[in-house]
Amino acid sequence: MRNLLKSRVLAWALVGLVAAAGSKLMAQAKPAAPAPVAAAPAPAAPATRYLTKLDILPPQITLSTKQARQVVAVQATYSDGITEDVTSQAKPRLSNSAVARWEKNILLPVADGQCELIVEHAGRAVMAPVAVTKAAEERPVSFRLDVMPIFMRAGCNAGGCHGAARGKDGFRLSLFGFDPEGDHYRLTRELNGRRLNMASTQESLLLEKAAGKVAHTGGACFAENDMYWSSIVRWLDADAPNDTATIATCVGVDLYPKNSVLNGKGAAQQMVVKARYSDGSERDVTHLALFLSSNDASAKIAKDGLVTAGERGEAFVMARFATFTVGSPLIVLPKDYQFKWDTQTENNYIDKLVNAKLQKLRITPSGTCTDEAFLRRVFLDVVGTMPTVEDYQKFMANPSPKKREELVDELLTRKEFVELWVLKWAELLQIRSSNQMSYKATLLYYNWLQDRIARNVPVNEWVIELLGASGGTFKNPPTNYYQNETDILKVTENVAQVFMGMRIQCAQCHNHPFDRWTMDDYYGFAAFFSQIGRKAADDPREVVVFNSGGGDVRHPVGGRVMAPKFLGGVAPDLTGKDRRQAMSQWLASAENPYFGTNLANMVWAHFLGKGIVDEVDDVRVSNPASNQELLDELGRKFTEYKYDFKKMVRDICNSRAYQRATTTNPSNELDTRNFSHAAIRRIKAESFLDCITQVTTTQNKFPGLPTGARAVQIADGTVSNYFLTTFGRATRETVCACEVRLEPTLSQSLHLLNGETTGNRIKQGDLVGKLLVAKKSPEQILEEVYIRCMARKPTPEETNRIMVLVNAETDKKKALEDAFWAVLNSREFMFNH
Amino acid sequence: MGPNSLLARATLMALVCLFTQGFLHANSPSLGGVAPRGIQRGTEAELVFSGARLANPKEVVFYNPGIQVLSITPVNDSTVKVKVKTGPDCRIGEHPVRLRTALGITEVRSLFVDPLPDVAEKEPNSDFTKPQKINLNTVVNGVVDNEDVDYFAVDLKKGQRLSAEVFGMRLGGTFFDPYIAILDSKRFELIASDDSPIGKQDGMCSIVAPDDGTYIVQVRETSYGGNGACQYRLHIGNFPRPTAMVPAGGKPGEELDVTFLGDPSGPIKQKVKIPADAPANFAVHAQDATGISPSGLPFRVVSLANVLEVEPNDTPGQASPGPGPVAFNGVIGKPGDVDIFKFPGKKGQVFDVHCYARRLGSPLDSVMYLAVEGAAPFASADDAVGPDSFFRVTLPEDKNYILTIQDHLKKGGTDYSYRVEFTSPTPKSTLSIPKVALFSQERQTITVHKGNRMASLMSVGRAEWGGDATLRAENLPPGATFACDTMPANLDTIPVVIEAAADAKAEGRLSQFRARPSDPKQPEFPSQFNQQADLIIGPPNQTLYWKYDLEAEAVAVGDEVPFKITVVEPKCPLVQNGSMQLRIIAERKPGFTAPINVYPLFNPPGVSTQGSNTIPEKGTETTLTINAAPNAQIKAWKTSIIANATVAGGPAWVSSQLFTLNVAAPFFAMAMERGAVEQGKETEIPCKITITTPITTPGKVKIVGLPPKVIAPELDIKADTKELVFKLQVDKTAPAGKHGNIFCQAIMQVNGEPVVHNVGGTELRIDVPIPPKVTAAAPAPMPMGKPAPAPVAQPMEKRLTRLEKLRLEQAEREKQGK
Repeated sequence: MRNLLKSRVLAWALVGLVAAAGSKLMAQAKPAAPAPVAAAPAPAAPATRYLTKLDILPPQITLSTKQARQVVAVQATYSDGITEDVTSQAKPRLSNSAVARWEKNILLPVADGQCELIVEHAGRAVMAPVAVTKAAEERPVSFRLDVMPIFMRAGCNAGGCHGAARGKDGFRLSLFGFDPEGDHYRLTRELNGRRLNMASTQESLLLEKAAGKVAHTGGACFAENDMYWSSIVRWLDADAPNDTATIATCVGVDLYPKNSVLNGKGAAQQMVVKARYSDGSERDVTHLALFLSSNDASAKIAKDGLVTAGERGEAFVMARFATFTVGSPLIVLPKDYQFKWDTQTENNYIDKLVNAKLQKLRITPSGTCTDEAFLRRVFLDVVGTMPTVEDYQKFMANPSPKKREELVDELLTRKEFVELWVLKWAELLQIRSSNQMSYKATLLYYNWLQDRIARNVPVNEWVIELLGASGGTFKNPPTNYYQNETDILKVTENVAQVFMGMRIQCAQCHNHPFDRWTMDDYYGFAAFFSQIGRKAADDPREVVVFNSGGGDVRHPVGGRVMAPKFLGGVAPDLTGKDRRQAMSQWLASAENPYFGTNLANMVWAHFLGKGIVDEVDDVRVSNPASNQELLDELGRKFTEYKYDFKKMVRDICNSRAYQRATTTNPSNELDTRNFSHAAIRRIKAESFLDCITQVTTTQNKFPGLPTGARAVQIADGTVSNYFLTTFGRATRETVCACEVRLEPTLSQSLHLLNGETTGNRIKQGDLVGKLLVAKKSPEQILEEVYIRCMARKPTPEETNRIMVLVNAETDKKKALEDAFWAVLNSREFMFNH
Repeated sequence: MGPNSLLARATLMALVCLFTQGFLHANSPSLGGVAPRGIQRGTEAELVFSGARLANPKEVVFYNPGIQVLSITPVNDSTVKVKVKTGPDCRIGEHPVRLRTALGITEVRSLFVDPLPDVAEKEPNSDFTKPQKINLNTVVNGVVDNEDVDYFAVDLKKGQRLSAEVFGMRLGGTFFDPYIAILDSKRFELIASDDSPIGKQDGMCSIVAPDDGTYIVQVRETSYGGNGACQYRLHIGNFPRPTAMVPAGGKPGEELDVTFLGDPSGPIKQKVKIPADAPANFAVHAQDATGISPSGLPFRVVSLANVLEVEPNDTPGQASPGPGPVAFNGVIGKPGDVDIFKFPGKKGQVFDVHCYARRLGSPLDSVMYLAVEGAAPFASADDAVGPDSFFRVTLPEDKNYILTIQDHLKKGGTDYSYRVEFTSPTPKSTLSIPKVALFSQERQTITVHKGNRMASLMSVGRAEWGGDATLRAENLPPGATFACDTMPANLDTIPVVIEAAADAKAEGRLSQFRARPSDPKQPEFPSQFNQQADLIIGPPNQTLYWKYDLEAEAVAVGDEVPFKITVVEPKCPLVQNGSMQLRIIAERKPGFTAPINVYPLFNPPGVSTQGSNTIPEKGTETTLTINAAPNAQIKAWKTSIIANATVAGGPAWVSSQLFTLNVAAPFFAMAMERGAVEQGKETEIPCKITITTPITTPGKVKIVGLPPKVIAPELDIKADTKELVFKLQVDKTAPAGKHGNIFCQAIMQVNGEPVVHNVGGTELRIDVPIPPKVTAAAPAPMPMGKPAPAPVAQPMEKRLTRLEKLRLEQAEREKQGK
């Protein structure tokens, strides 16, 4: 035993060492390279840079009423894509100063009329129209439009402060202002006479606390007599009125500039936020919006909306106002970074869009991977198996210049391709037996799904069938979707998360803080699932799901009955119709902007290891796509392909972006989101077990499946084994994409090293023994093991060094099995690369 | 068919064995199963009955006619071989069967009689490419092991029908949900069937061969489960296999044209001769030149005229007319189809309106509406009996009525048949023996041993009538007599006792029990015994999947057992809120020493009895404590005690005679006053007595429930006692606090037997004495002026209540304070 262990360790060390020297994993194994900025060539003067574009932000200005104001920024765009905030350098003037006036970078109304704001910079001039109306009129103060935004901006109604479920220090506001009526009540009626001092408005506790004039746990949120203070005083002086039911509501928010590329640390950019209202009016809300940045290290944003560039990187700066969160992407480059974009071969539209983004980021993508690497990668990704020795030889010997495309086409016809996607969908549809769902129903449901995917039924068609399903859970298996989860709100959340990639859970209790979803949206969408009837069927294990035609969802604030409204869409008239059918028809159509892109993103994430939106089921304003154009195009293509998975897979697998090598260059070394090099990915638990089974020529036995069945074929989410659990098989208890765990863990390594899977299977399969019987030489056997496991031949160095070990051992079989064991424990085998 | 003719039996000739002598026959025989599970009709076959305690088998009891028992050969205690012969017209399908031994009757199991010959499944047949070749028109007896798939190949000519029907769950053996499919030689599934409305979990399907060639029938467990117990009988042949029938009902004795639907060859017309006395589960099999379908379609035998729908009848204007509220038959032919009938009705007519669809094997999930023509529906129903609809209506006007039928999910198809029956509610009674254990057949048959007795509970469900009921038994074994009391109107279960004469022959019968109103002015309504034999339970939560409904009770006179029990009938009553010790005496045959367990069978309302007791080994007597609640129903009840003892490895059951338990009102009522006392002092608890039944013999009354260290003497109660006063001596260490649940137990004597009363009820408060005030202790020279507070200490005319005492004390304090 000791001997065995020793030889194994030795062999392992060798494989690791040699593999590292010879494989693409090598680059990843190296110690981290210095930061790309430091590695980049020394900055040189921007010799060739010239101004290409000058923008006034916002491009149109309307000033209505005496209270109107507009922050204006001027952005210059240069030939190399760099942008610059030139507001302070630019020379602004108004075509008619009787209409408006310019004060620093703020435009204020003077008198009704129209004029132009003309800005000149570096020899260029641009113009923005300015319209002033009701310049002499006071805008009546409004609780919702003037006061509530201050609570958000100052953080009063945040979860950590008075927005907490039970408020803070005895005072409660609705979280992010989802309940203005309730907030007004609590301010004016609750503890009457304490919060507001109508006799001496400036001495109201509300103001004194907020300004820090009296002890306040939250400290000073704004200063005495600043604009926020004044707004509240103005409201108090008007007797703290509540708004009428017809008060305008915010219908949209715009954040400017839409794109920025900042040149070096310290570069700044002023953001401008404009809100649009239901009465057609517009307001500058830069001073009322709450600003956030997704990456403070690269782009820190101040309370007033001024972004300051930091380290090289990408950021998404966001402004939250009313129920809206809007964002704008921002790139920070090292100062005067010199970069030369080498023309890249582009196989299809994917490459064009990926490269466009890389070019923007000044990242040079890695080269194309070897045929061997491609073979192994595409097998693992498309069919979830290792290429066989025959597959390897056939592919390597194929002289066709289009052999990669041919291979992809061939793999797409295999049954294993279907099984892999059935597995993926089974996870999302939570196909697992439970107290509510018998094993029979589970299997029927799984078989239904398998049938749809095997017949290449367009996803939209089977999704419509699934979500609109009625009938017995045995007779019409997709109805199990509604048996699996019977809670209306959970079903609502699951549908949004699986088919639209959105986690709307937050909006169950309050408006989503990082997305556009309000409670109205949430309960309006939930209303589609409020009329699901369930009744007993003949078989005690079966349930009949039907459209009960009655039942409503009520808004928890005020208890109003919510009319069904598509998430982000219209509220259709569904009188007398099956709400679920209407919903499924809309959901799985091009009308729903999220369906196609979400599915495309799921496919993309499977092949590239990371979604364009990451996680794939976390689409939200504050989690933007790393390449929106690419995502949109993939979504468009997917819709155009009539949701044909195979076509989508073909596009992706044939792209250069997919076929890149894992080796990196200094410019893309730290890139994890822009697909500039191939990612090294852990193989999914089921596929990995199947691969081990395949290379060791052994068989699996799972409950409910015949001997020899593959792990990807397990229908029931509750079925697992030690290996699958260790390697992160989804339990299908939730719809979350995070259920499949792909992070490597110590217990995984230990299981492979010491567990029964590798050692026992090598013995059970007796591959080495069989090859020895077939009179193969140790070198040939070693080569076969390498091809089976790594899809490549061992390098001469690997062969030589392992053969030394083998030759030193009298028991050749044992020595070769040790080498086999070492290969199975090498990183090159354990990862898809 | 009378119960007499239901009984088919074979008497075993003398069992001549060398080891007969001293061979003790085991009691409570148990039947595990019969193999093979089915036989071909018109043939002879040898069956193996296996189970436990099957020694000395006497008779094979079939509930249906047609199977003749040729011989019964005991093999050992757990196996019996039985040769049977079936006639050519023997009923197709399941035949419930029991085995009667000299000492008892087994559970019911099933045997199937089929028109086709059997063939055994031969493994390996789990590879599609290597199926088991079989002849057309055979029944495969097979087993589905875990993940097993069985393939059978048959050759067909183009246009020939191939039908397959599996009996898995229906065999009543184990939880087994089979799946069948017919595939062509290229592995394409032509048709598959997992479940079916007729066969429930059992599938059936049928195709017309598109080409000459080999066809494969696959059978497996639906979820690739299975085990050695998952037996099946797979019928493969070119017999017709329709899935619906219209009309699925007719009048008794009538000859009717019916159309079978759902067969791949198209509708099949057939004449049906309806028996005049059809059993409740009457079914009609489709039959043509190619064969007969292995399971029939349920058929309603009711004296109602048939109306068949005439399409189009989707709107009230197109409604198919009927002469009145009769039986309306039709098919929801396509998805979205609605069938409408119109008939004239009279105001005040009351009808039970049943839609028979799933009950007749139709996939239809009916929704039914009834409206006065031109008005909105006044009655509607979706699911009432399973998915079938039912409502009871009183017709509101002399008008035409519109009856609408559709599918709940707006589905439809060629076999979505239905039959709506309008029947007037009629009184009837259903009798049954309540189960003693869930899903068990234990004590569902009655074996009464020679010279002994056996009791059982009997339930009577009275539909559409009420009042006292009189029960009777029909077709008991000769020498057995039936006894029971009148069932009071407020009860639906009473005990019955069957007694066998000492010289009765050991014989069995399928007996019938009937109930009729005790009021002689009322007519006797139809009554029927029903027994549900639960055969298969399964998930979720132990749900019943397969059962038999039997319409007769198996009663047998068994060989003697060596013990007998008798209850010493109490000569005194059991009073409300009282108790009694019931004496049970055992008579033992010499040499029989085993302990005997006794159990109460029946508790009258408000009476409870000790769950069981045991007459110890060699003992002859024991008691059961009976308690009556304060609201126990006053009545002289007839009841019985049952007992068992192990006789030769199995429990032998007997019962006592039907004895009278007289529940009466207490002889007197008692009102106890509340007591309060300080530790170490004495007090009294006076009790007022109101005698309601004259007391002839003085009784003893003691106070019960006193806290420790408190004692009170026992008192006598006589005919004229009006008050009893318990003098309580409270020790210094008696626990302080409020002590509730103190009452009196009175033991009165009637006919020399004790009548235990629990009467009264009060509480006693024990206080810790107030420590004497230290300062107040000094001015002791109180007795100087006045001649002592004699008036207080003087014997009082009237005993003071606690409240009065407190008042007095307070007055005294006030006086002293002045």
